[in-house]
Amino acid sequence: MDFTWVRAGPWAARWLATLGAEVIKVEWPENMDMLRQNRFTVPPGVTPGPNSTGQFADTNAGKLGLSVNVRHPKGLEAIKSLISVSDVVIENFSSRIMSRWGLGYDELRKLRPDIVYVSMAGFGQTGRQHYFGTMGPAAQALSGLTHQSGLPGEPPAGWGWSYLDDTGGMYGAMCTLTALHHRNQTGQGQHVDLSQMITGITLTGTAFLDKTVNGRESRREGYPPGNRTVWPGAPVVNNYRGPIAAPHNAFRTLGGGYNDWCVIACLSDEEWTSLVGLMNGPAWAKDNKFATLNGRLQHQDEMDQEIEKWTLTMGKYDLADKCQAAGVRAMPVQSSQDRVEHDPQLRHRGMFTKVKHPMLGDWKFQGAPFRLDGSKVAVKGPPPMIGEHTTKIMGELLGVSRDDLLQGYEEGVFWPETTPRFDYVQQAIDEEAKR
Amino acid sequence: MTSQMAGPLSGLRVLELTGEHAQFCGKLMADLGADVIKIEPPGGQGTREVGPFLDDEAGPERSLYFWHYNTSKRGITLDITKPEGQEVFRKLAATAGLVLESFPAGYLPSLGLGYDSLSADNPGLIMCSVTPFGQDGPWRDYQTSDLLHLAAGGQMASSGYDVEDVPDAPPIAPGGGNAWHIASHYSYIAIMGALYHRDFTGEGQYIDVSVHEACSLTTEGAIAIYLSTGEVVRRHTGRHASADMSPGIQHATNDGGYINTTRSGSNLTPARVKILATWMDEYGLAQDLLEEKYQDPAVVEESGQHFADVLKNFFANMPLVEAYEGGQELNFPWGAVRTMGEIVGDPHLEDREFFVSVEHPELGREFTYPGPAAIYNASPWRISRRAPLIGEHNDEILGGELGFSKSDLEALKKLDAI
Repeated sequence: MDFTWVRAGPWAARWLATLGAEVIKVEWPENMDMLRQNRFTVPPGVTPGPNSTGQFADTNAGKLGLSVNVRHPKGLEAIKSLISVSDVVIENFSSRIMSRWGLGYDELRKLRPDIVYVSMAGFGQTGRQHYFGTMGPAAQALSGLTHQSGLPGEPPAGWGWSYLDDTGGMYGAMCTLTALHHRNQTGQGQHVDLSQMITGITLTGTAFLDKTVNGRESRREGYPPGNRTVWPGAPVVNNYRGPIAAPHNAFRTLGGGYNDWCVIACLSDEEWTSLVGLMNGPAWAKDNKFATLNGRLQHQDEMDQEIEKWTLTMGKYDLADKCQAAGVRAMPVQSSQDRVEHDPQLRHRGMFTKVKHPMLGDWKFQGAPFRLDGSKVAVKGPPPMIGEHTTKIMGELLGVSRDDLLQGYEEGVFWPETTPRFDYVQQAIDEEAKR
Repeated sequence: MTSQMAGPLSGLRVLELTGEHAQFCGKLMADLGADVIKIEPPGGQGTREVGPFLDDEAGPERSLYFWHYNTSKRGITLDITKPEGQEVFRKLAATAGLVLESFPAGYLPSLGLGYDSLSADNPGLIMCSVTPFGQDGPWRDYQTSDLLHLAAGGQMASSGYDVEDVPDAPPIAPGGGNAWHIASHYSYIAIMGALYHRDFTGEGQYIDVSVHEACSLTTEGAIAIYLSTGEVVRRHTGRHASADMSPGIQHATNDGGYINTTRSGSNLTPARVKILATWMDEYGLAQDLLEEKYQDPAVVEESGQHFADVLKNFFANMPLVEAYEGGQELNFPWGAVRTMGEIVGDPHLEDREFFVSVEHPELGREFTYPGPAAIYNASPWRISRRAPLIGEHNDEILGGELGFSKSDLEALKKLDAI
C-alpha cells in the first residue's frame, strides 16, 4: 500500500514494483501528487493533465492506481480492509499525519500483526523537530551534503538536482526490503522510521569522523575543492571523495557546447606518465615540478590550463576513448540527452525500455542498474492513471459488491463528487454497473 | 531493551571482497546485524591508505575513511591468487549467504571462484558483483573513479552554479564519494530482492551491478525532462533539476550563512504568501507582499522571481538559524546549509540517539560515529564494533569457526596466503 507522493516516496515504491511487488498507489484527485501537476514534463502535443507528465510516469511505473477518500468513513474502511491483506504500508507525509487519520502503526498492526510499515518523513517521527518539513534540496543543505560541493571561497554549490529525493527513495526501498526479510525469518513485522535529512548525514561519514575524531571543521580554507582533491595552496588533507590525486578535474573539449567537458584523473605517477605520453610529451609536462604528486598538487593551475589546451582539440567521447586505451582515467561529462542517445554502454545494457503509456505513447522507462540471474530488470508496466484500477482493486481484491461500489462513487468515496470523471473512470463504473 | 534484540539481517553471513566500490553496502548490512567478513589481501586493502587519518598521521589502522566504511565487520586476510588461499575461500564460501565483490569482470571465474563454482554445493548462495560498467559492454574494462562516474552518470551535467553566484563555473562533481554510495544503495536493493526470493524458494542467484547505470538513474528529473521536452537541465545552485531559468533559492544570511528555500515560488498559494508576508512584516521587510494583488493565484504564479528577490533581501537581514527555524515553524520546508560543526551535537539528532560512541580498544579511546538513517523498532541498527584491524579475526574465523589447526594457520602464514 503506497501512500507516498512527490518523488522520494514514490521512487521507493517504484523499486518494489520493479522487483515484482503488487504496489497500490493510493491517491485522491482533490489533493493530487505534485508530480502529476508537473507541467514541465508534459511532452508537446500531449493533452496536459494528471496522467500526462513524464516525471510522474517514470517515478511511478508499474503500480496500480486506487482513488479513495481517506477522510470519508467508508474510504477509511476500504483502506483498512486493503491493509489487512497487504504486506507493506509505505508513506512519506509529514510526521504523524497517518496517525491522525487513524492509520498509525499501532492501529494497523491490529489489522495485520506482521505488517511492515515504513515512514519517510523529513526529520523522522521522533525528536524535537520531527514536524519540520523537507524537500530534497533543503534536506541536502541540512545534512552537510550541500556544503561538501562547490568551489572554495564561493557560496556552496550543492547539488543541481534533488539527490535526497532519489536517495531517500532508495532508502525507503532498502528499509522495506530489509524489514520484509526480517519478517520472513521471524514472522514479526515492524515500524521503520526513516528520515530523509538524516539519510544525507550518513553519506558524509568521513567528514563527520574528521570532525569528531580530529576536530577538523568542514568550513575551512580551500574547501570544498571543486573537482580537485586538494585546492592549490591548501593543506594536503583528504576531501572525503577518495584518494588524493592530480590532475583531477573537468576540462573543456572540442565543440564548445554546454556539456562539452570531460574529466581526467591520474591516480598514480604511472597514470600521469601515460597521460604525458598521450599528449605527445609536451615540453611543459616534462618539467620536474610535475614529476611528483606533491608537485602536481602545488602547480595544478598551470597544469590544468595546459591539459585543457590539449583536451580542447578533441570531442569528449573521442578523448575518453583515447585516454582509456592509453591507461588514463577519463570520461565524458554526459547530459541526459547524451545518456539516452549516445552512451554506448547504456545502449548495450538496455538501460531504457519502451513501454506503451496511455497518454505518452511508446515511452522510454529507466530500467534497473542490475541484472538478476543474467536477466535485465525492466519496469513492470506504465504508471497508473489516477484511480485507474479502483473498481478492479475493490471488486476483485476485496470482493466489494457491485452495489456498494457504485454507491461509493455516488457518495464521493472513490471519486470526488465535484471533480469531472475521466473517460476511463466513467467506463470502469459503467462496466461495473453491467456486471 | 532494544540492545538485546537482533538486527534484521542477523543470521546472514557476507563475504566482502570490495573496497571503495561497495564496502558501504557491506557496512549497511553489517550495522543491521549481518555477519560481514571483510577479506583483505595480506597487508591490508588499499582503502586503508585513503585519508583523512587519525591525528593526520598516515597508517593502515588510522584511516578515518576506512573506519567509517567498515564498522561492524570482522576482518581476515587471504591471498586468493594462491591455491592455498583459494581452498580457504571455498570453505568459507560454503558457510556464506552472500559474496559481495568488485573485482574486474571475469576475474573471480578466472581463479575458479565464479558463482557457478561456489554455488555448486551451496545453492542458496547469492553473489553480487559491483563493477564500474557491469560484466559486459564496450566500456566494461574502462578504469574509473568517483569523479569519472559522476561525469558519465550525469551528476556533473546537473551541478554547478547560477551565473549570478559564479560566472563561467565548470560542471562540479558533488563531494563525498557519492558514486560509490549510489552503487552501494542499488546493490543493497538488488541483494535484498534476491534474499526475499531465497526466503521463499531457497534459491540463490548471481547479481551484476553497474556503478554507471546506478549513477545514470540518479539525476532526479533530468531524463524525464529530456524525454518530455528534448531539453537538457541547466546547472544551477542547489535546487531541483530543471531546464528553465528558475529563480535562485539559496540566499546569504547576515551572519555569513546560507539558507536553502527549496524553490521559493513553486509551492506558494495566496494564503501561504500572506503567512510569509505577515512574518516578514514583523521585521519591516515584507516590501509589497501584503498587497491585495498577491491574493490572486495567477499573480502568485507569475511572481516567482519577485518573491525570490524579496526573500533574498529578508534573509540578508536575518541570522541563519532564526530564518530557517522561523520558516519551519510556519511550515516552510527550508534548510540551513550546515557544516559538520553544526550537525555534530544537534539536539534533534541527540533525541534520536544518532550520535554513537564506538570503542577503539587498541587505542584506549572512544569516538563518535554517525548513527542510522532509519530507526527499526523491532530489529535495531547497531555498530557492533569498530572497523577490523588487518587480519584481526584470522584466528577466530579460520581457526575457531572453520577448524584450521594452529599448524595449518602457521603454514598458511608462511606461504603468505593469509
